[in-house]
Amino acid sequence: MLDNEAVQALLSISHPKHAQALTSVQVVNDRRKRSRPTKVLVPTAVRVEAGWDRTAPAAAFINQLRIVDVALDGAAADVAAALVATHHVSVADAHVGAALRTVAGPVTILTSDPGDMRTVAGTKDVVIVTL
Amino acid sequence: MNHSRWYVRAVDAIDRIRELLDSTDEVTVGTSMRLPAALREAAALAVSELGAATSITALAADALWQRLDALVVEAALDAHYDRYPALRPSLAELAIAAAELDGNPLASRPDAIRCAAAAIIERHPDADADDVLLWAEAQAASAA
Repeated sequence: MLDNEAVQALLSISHPKHAQALTSVQVVNDRRKRSRPTKVLVPTAVRVEAGWDRTAPAAAFINQLRIVDVALDGAAADVAAALVATHHVSVADAHVGAALRTVAGPVTILTSDPGDMRTVAGTKDVVIVTL
Repeated sequence: MNHSRWYVRAVDAIDRIRELLDSTDEVTVGTSMRLPAALREAAALAVSELGAATSITALAADALWQRLDALVVEAALDAHYDRYPALRPSLAELAIAAAELDGNPLASRPDAIRCAAAAIIERHPDADADDVLLWAEAQAASAA
């Protein structure tokens, strides 16, 4: 699952973490080619914060990476609102926390802010990779 | 066919594959696809006994969708690396990233992963990141 900076890194070739984020995407895709059930997810509030408009020409490359949206629906909004109220995190980070709770199986978060990700993950067992 | 014409056709095909994968059109078509009998029987057992999918058709369609989806991402990454060759990760870099993504303790020993990548690629040029991690884990276990 991608957080704000991971998305920004993939959006821009000039971002200092572009290569690192890209390598992670390739690892996931190589595993998919071997029929391992895995995918890259992005909470939609993270897309908003990172400025990823799928219709924008600047998003042409990242769109090709087939990263899957996790929508901020009503139930997720409730969980995210509670996380904001309790931990004073950003809306995007709270949506990461809410999205984590809807994913079955192991999750890895690609982030520049491991502290906040650990907070919003709560009791969910996650691996956090720091960009 | 010269390379540039092939490239343009390949890019057009990949764009069209993407559109088709995202299509919500539920129209189905019958196909004359022939499957190996053993594969078909294995799929039937997976459906009937393991609940792997609602039908053999659903199982096959899902597997095909996943494979094509991965293929178009691979094409996008390859095109990006062709344009920016310095971005193409080495096998060792992929293996280190894989260890980090998995929370594998080897992630804290990137030198061991680099050594494993260098060793395995001599014998298995097609090795991938997970092969490197297995190799490195085996080396670590035998050294313990």
